[in-house]
Amino acid sequence: MSLSLPVAAVLLFMLGSALAAAALRDVVGSIVAFAGYSFGVAALWSLLRAPDVALTEAAVGAGITTVLFLLTIARTSVSRSEAFEGVSLRSALAVVAIVVTVGATVPALPAVGDPSAPIVQGEVSQYYLDNAYEQTGVTNVVTAVLVGYRGFDTLGEAAVVFAAGIAMLLVLRREEFV
Amino acid sequence: MSDRPTDVDETSPADETSPADETSPADEGDGRLSRPADERPPYVESTIIMTTVRVIAPFVLTLGIFVMFHGASSAGGGFQGGVIAATTVVMLGFAFGIEPVAAHLRNEHLALLVLSGLGAFLAVGFGAYAFGGSFLQFTLYPIDHGSKYSIELVELGIGVVVSGVITGLFFLLGAGVDVDVTDSDTEEDR
Repeated sequence: MSLSLPVAAVLLFMLGSALAAAALRDVVGSIVAFAGYSFGVAALWSLLRAPDVALTEAAVGAGITTVLFLLTIARTSVSRSEAFEGVSLRSALAVVAIVVTVGATVPALPAVGDPSAPIVQGEVSQYYLDNAYEQTGVTNVVTAVLVGYRGFDTLGEAAVVFAAGIAMLLVLRREEFV
Repeated sequence: MSDRPTDVDETSPADETSPADETSPADEGDGRLSRPADERPPYVESTIIMTTVRVIAPFVLTLGIFVMFHGASSAGGGFQGGVIAATTVVMLGFAFGIEPVAAHLRNEHLALLVLSGLGAFLAVGFGAYAFGGSFLQFTLYPIDHGSKYSIELVELGIGVVVSGVITGLFFLLGAGVDVDVTDSDTEEDR
């Protein structure tokens, strides 16, 4: 698998911001670095031609999550005494172990853009690509699958968001909103 | 909102807490909390931010609604569009203070909004029974491109649910941030 230059640059950026998010002691800086990491993921999705996922990642991961983190941290105390977290040997070992374990599964994945990958050759995705427009009248296949073919799942997702919102209103409600 | 202090003392946190803000080198290393929440200035009115938000907010809302509606033909959909539309409220909250913005949108309204979004989804789903189909069978609606329009209506419902929930979460987490925390009546407020 050959990396194109933009993908390599985005991966490098993601690696740097992920390290910064983990190592920065300043919580606000860490949150901003985390937002940068999410933005890198969004850029990577759009480079890999998944604009729907990229849009979601940019809006939710880089946008709203950052705002909610910042709001939460604004209500607490912020430590600013040191620039970087001290890394102990045990946590470094744990990180290395996790990276090695997860990284060991990577060679099992098909290469990006591999024409013999199951997702490209599979009957199901080809069926959606062939029939989505005639059967649902929608040109974006992602939306056709999401709402048309898998509408019941999406109804479940919307119900989960709804239930979470109502529970949040009940739990976090302050006196003045009664 | 009525108990909001009218004159927020903006100078005193910067003047009195500057020794605490600039941590002396001797204190480094023990993870001392040098900036507690009650020493930070609350919401600061900024002309630049307010003007910028006034200009951008309509465009962001338009983009959100576009993404919501246009999910059937291009990248996007209800989840993404709903978040972008809710960003408008977040920007307004940052520019004009969260409490004044929250005063315009009560939680009951947000709950009704979220309920109507889910209701639209369910109505489109159950509506297929009226034409002899099964649940969520969009192709039966007897209008031109009925399937496409019902899918877009569903996307709009999802978008309303998502934007309502995110707006509510923003208000609930943000309420009290821009009020002076050292205010005496915050204790009996809880």
